[in-house]
Amino acid sequence: MAEPILDISGLDISFTTYGERTQILHDVSMKVGAGERVSLIGQSGSGKTVTMRAIIGTLPMPPGSIDAGSIRFEGTELLTLDKRARNRLKGTGISIVLQDPLLSFNPVLTIGRQMDDVVRFADMRLGTSRPRAERQAHIYEVLRNVQLADGERICHAYPMMLSGGMRQRVLIAMALLNSPRLLIADEPGTALDVTTQQEILILLNKLVDETGMSLMLITHNLGVVREMADRIYVMQRGRIVESGRREEIFSKPSHDYTRELMDAVPSLYGPKVTDVANDKADRTVIKLRDLSKDFPLRAGLFNRQVGISHAVRNVDLDIEHGDIFGIAGESGSGKTTLAKMLLGLFPPTTGEITVDGRNVADVAGTRDFRKLVQIVYQNPGSSLNPKRSVGDQLSVPLIFAGYDKSGIPARIRELLELVDLPARYASMYPHELSGGQKQRVAIARALSVDPKIVVLDEPTSALDVLIQNVVIELLQRLRSELDLTYVFISHDLSLMRNFCNRVAIMFRGEICEQGETPSVFAQPQHPYTRALLSSIPVLTDDEAARKPVVDAAERQAVLASTTTLTQEATNVSDWN
Amino acid sequence: MSVSPSFDDLGPDGGRGRSLTSRQMAWYRFSRNPSALIGTAIVVSVFIAAIFAPFIATSPESAGSHVDFVNRHSAPSWEFLFGTDNVGRDIFSRVVYGYRVSLGLVVGVLGVAVPFGVVLGLAAGYFGGRVEFAIMRLTDIMLAIPPLAMALAITAVLSPNLINAMIAITLLWWTWHTRLIYRIVKGQMAEDYVEAAKVAGASHFHIMFRELLPNCVPAISVKTSLDAGFVILFGAALSFLGLGVAPPTPDLGTMVSTGSEYLPEFWWEALMPGMAILYAILGFNLLGDGLRDMMDVEV
Amino acid sequence: MAGPRAEGNLGMTFYLTKRALSLLMVLLGLAVMIFIIARIVPGDPARIALGPLATAAQVEELRQEMGLNDPIHIQLWHYLSGLAQGDLGKSLLTSRPVMDDILQALPATFELVLATVVLQIVISIPLGVLAAYYRDTWVDNVTRVVSLIGVVTPGFVLAIILQLLASYYLTIFPIAGRLDPGLEFQASTTGLLLIDSVIAGRLDVFVDAARHIFLPAIALSAAGIGQVMRITRSSMIEVGSRDFVEAARAYGIPERVVTFRYMLRVASVAPLTILGLEFASLIGNAFVVEFVFSWPGLASYGVRTILQKDLNAVIGVVLVSGVFFVIANLTIDALLGIIDPRHRIREGQRA
Repeated sequence: MAEPILDISGLDISFTTYGERTQILHDVSMKVGAGERVSLIGQSGSGKTVTMRAIIGTLPMPPGSIDAGSIRFEGTELLTLDKRARNRLKGTGISIVLQDPLLSFNPVLTIGRQMDDVVRFADMRLGTSRPRAERQAHIYEVLRNVQLADGERICHAYPMMLSGGMRQRVLIAMALLNSPRLLIADEPGTALDVTTQQEILILLNKLVDETGMSLMLITHNLGVVREMADRIYVMQRGRIVESGRREEIFSKPSHDYTRELMDAVPSLYGPKVTDVANDKADRTVIKLRDLSKDFPLRAGLFNRQVGISHAVRNVDLDIEHGDIFGIAGESGSGKTTLAKMLLGLFPPTTGEITVDGRNVADVAGTRDFRKLVQIVYQNPGSSLNPKRSVGDQLSVPLIFAGYDKSGIPARIRELLELVDLPARYASMYPHELSGGQKQRVAIARALSVDPKIVVLDEPTSALDVLIQNVVIELLQRLRSELDLTYVFISHDLSLMRNFCNRVAIMFRGEICEQGETPSVFAQPQHPYTRALLSSIPVLTDDEAARKPVVDAAERQAVLASTTTLTQEATNVSDWN
Repeated sequence: MSVSPSFDDLGPDGGRGRSLTSRQMAWYRFSRNPSALIGTAIVVSVFIAAIFAPFIATSPESAGSHVDFVNRHSAPSWEFLFGTDNVGRDIFSRVVYGYRVSLGLVVGVLGVAVPFGVVLGLAAGYFGGRVEFAIMRLTDIMLAIPPLAMALAITAVLSPNLINAMIAITLLWWTWHTRLIYRIVKGQMAEDYVEAAKVAGASHFHIMFRELLPNCVPAISVKTSLDAGFVILFGAALSFLGLGVAPPTPDLGTMVSTGSEYLPEFWWEALMPGMAILYAILGFNLLGDGLRDMMDVEV
Repeated sequence: MAGPRAEGNLGMTFYLTKRALSLLMVLLGLAVMIFIIARIVPGDPARIALGPLATAAQVEELRQEMGLNDPIHIQLWHYLSGLAQGDLGKSLLTSRPVMDDILQALPATFELVLATVVLQIVISIPLGVLAAYYRDTWVDNVTRVVSLIGVVTPGFVLAIILQLLASYYLTIFPIAGRLDPGLEFQASTTGLLLIDSVIAGRLDVFVDAARHIFLPAIALSAAGIGQVMRITRSSMIEVGSRDFVEAARAYGIPERVVTFRYMLRVASVAPLTILGLEFASLIGNAFVVEFVFSWPGLASYGVRTILQKDLNAVIGVVLVSGVFFVIANLTIDALLGIIDPRHRIREGQRA
């Protein structure tokens, strides 16, 4: 490696909160070469973000303090640099793309105003100035570099008027306005759907190639790393535990933690994929017939109905006893609406749901139906009441299912045991538990009244990848022990490949494809399924080669564009 | 400036295994918060004064229509800590008894208005639809009424005394709690635990009072503490204008009103009861602020 | 996408129409509610007006005159249609139409309230920003103490203290009234002395009016200043922890611009909303402050008529206060619409 553009050595950072000092970074050293793409990998809480803040100079001090070490940028020590010189580097030397594209914009200023500020003040710091028209021309040019042609209209829009993918593009443009030599990207695209994320990653790679800047990518997703990094640093609990060239680490990781991380990522193709079978499929337990759900769109002075949103359209499904039936789709595809109708939480507009031979419309809300279908939610932080103890929360379904009061404590102990938690957890509150433990409690609650069917609404997506696998194993064990049928709703196709025996893909409210998991993944028929599969970041070249190949025209036909102003923006003007 | 993002790195899954429990953090915040401690001390002292008034007052007979013309308009001294009034009554003793009236008003008003406002707020937020429309439009209307004007009008029509003042203030006070609880419940309704309770078959009553209410308690306690001060203020303003507690019952607002006729020479006659009002309000406010910091809620 | 042309308005008209309609509903509701309270709660309004000594015949005569013998819905209709024409009935105290009395007292109160709101905004928002910027330093502590004193001091106690200090001991400010009776001046254009004196080119009147209004305005604004300052501070701190602020700093936007353009604009929504919500309390407090400073305004009129149980006048005062509240809130809604485009956009798309 040539002279590094960024050279961090021996960095120690601690935080003091509520009088307790905690060291967050321990002796962190890393280098980024000119034009190099470096990834910093770690789970949430590993210290990635603190490292980023120390580099760009936005670490809050106090409570943070840098106790030792140095950060050199192009040979200049940043930690002792005077404020003016340091400010001069912001945006021009080092720039950032923060994780959430919506939150990274000021909501009350137009995009154009914010971009112009970035250019104007950078000019000021460098002691130059350009007329407004020239700055504007520059902004339009940078927007074109991120494939946004309609600079004028984008500049006049407020951030909320753009789609997620477009915001992400504009955000990247914003970071590049003053041609930084180093771009730090914090989980780019993570907040977006996988197809959009893919486009953003391709864009970033292209920009690095074209401009020769260095890229430091902060992420937890190893699949993204494979496509985006020359070198890798793995961070765990504030320490760099492994570093090296990407090929080396991917082929033979030396640290246990790295190995665990790699093993935890479910495979999409190849030898590590597990096929799931259902040998109990003796009867159909769930039947959906021509199911649709419309929501009225209201607007105007008197909230008149101005349109209809078709959340779910003409869905037919049969789920067999013992199935782990996956329903896949991106945000807004209607998969959650479908699940809620299945639970009888609201009625379908047309069509019929039959569960265990009974029409849901007739039995929804009854005690018997609750003993038939239960649900585990995505985020246990939200699905558990923060103010009630674990025992209290487990007792609710039991009380309302008419359990004998005296038997409830014993049943709670039994349930906790079922999900591998000690009985003393009954008296604890959610904030005292880790994310994985909370999700176990949520699973125990769903199982408390012995349901036959459990709807799993993205049960692992709020968890770190290592914990995710433990929860999946638990669910598999419970399925065979308790003779359960799962309806598994997710956007994570890699996980579904290894967990479900059958899948259905939802696209704009409709089921565009369904079948046995291995065959759907091996020969996807619908262009959307193909586009979805081709967008998933995988860990090995072998897997990448097996993904379906989708050309640009095919993608365009099924995916919403992130380069032109779409629906969301037009909605705003409808009532204007 | 940001503190919170660093907590992502300190959360339970951060694996450091020595993070503080929230109760410890709350206690740390409370004990490190001088305003909370001072507030608690003041509130306790006001309650002690009110409860043990006969033992604390240096001249308990001053609480009634006692007259001592020899000592009228005496300046503050060791004998008369806050001085005496126009008929020679000891102002300090009257203030101590005056706290009984003030705290009685607080308990009476908040004892009714808080539960009532909370229940309506819960109902509006939980049921939504028509219930929400009816309740929230009613609070919108109440919000447009100048509370002091309304309370004045009500007490005037019903004849001025403590009970009627209490009724008038109560009629206006519940709306603020309704709005507060409504806002919180609306936010909580987006959390999955509410739907989870529905899926578990829980009754409306259970969801409102066992699931949602506990999540409102921090905000209610902060708001109620702050309110206590403002009810005292409100009652004092009413009697200052001549529509509160009837004489000779010692009442702080009435004392300020009477005393202000003897300004500026006998300044203590208005100022001392005024400061006594301020002291009590200050105490409840500091306590409320301390609780707010401790429980990390915005009211 | 509406295109650049519509950007300035972007639903503003629609948003304000919608807000105005809902505030009108509040006003109508208020009118009906007051009618119900006034007619049903206290018993016989005629008896209350005439006092316990009046004969049954006198009461009956007044009942006829006030239309109290009509069915209740007819009464409500008369009352509402009267309101629509600006007729608030006759005052029993002054025997003049309530509307005339109120119009006479209104400018003084309007001037005081306006001065108060200006003081509140000018003092509390900058101090709140300062406190947030210098968080946990002595600057923060001083502003917090000031805000606390403002919040906990009852208006009438503060008014008396100010009177005592400024008028008796320092004799800088006049004790009471709106204008020195020695000054010949008729505020005829707007009714507001501070503005009319400038229009008429009377500097002496302006100075005198300003000296008169200073203490009442301070006494009236103290509570709001404290509260708005506190909310501005916490709102600035909350906004300061958002991603876009970190992003703006990382892109090298100067701290001054980050604070005022990026943070304050977003952070000012909460204090402005509170100013609107608390507006009724402000008018309520004006009752006490006007009383202490003998300010010849609506509140003084209100206190007098309330003490005399002059029902029509009381209803009129409360209703006019309601109109005040509605206008103030519509102004704030317009301001919020300008500051934060999400207000108008959300309102337009609300499902």
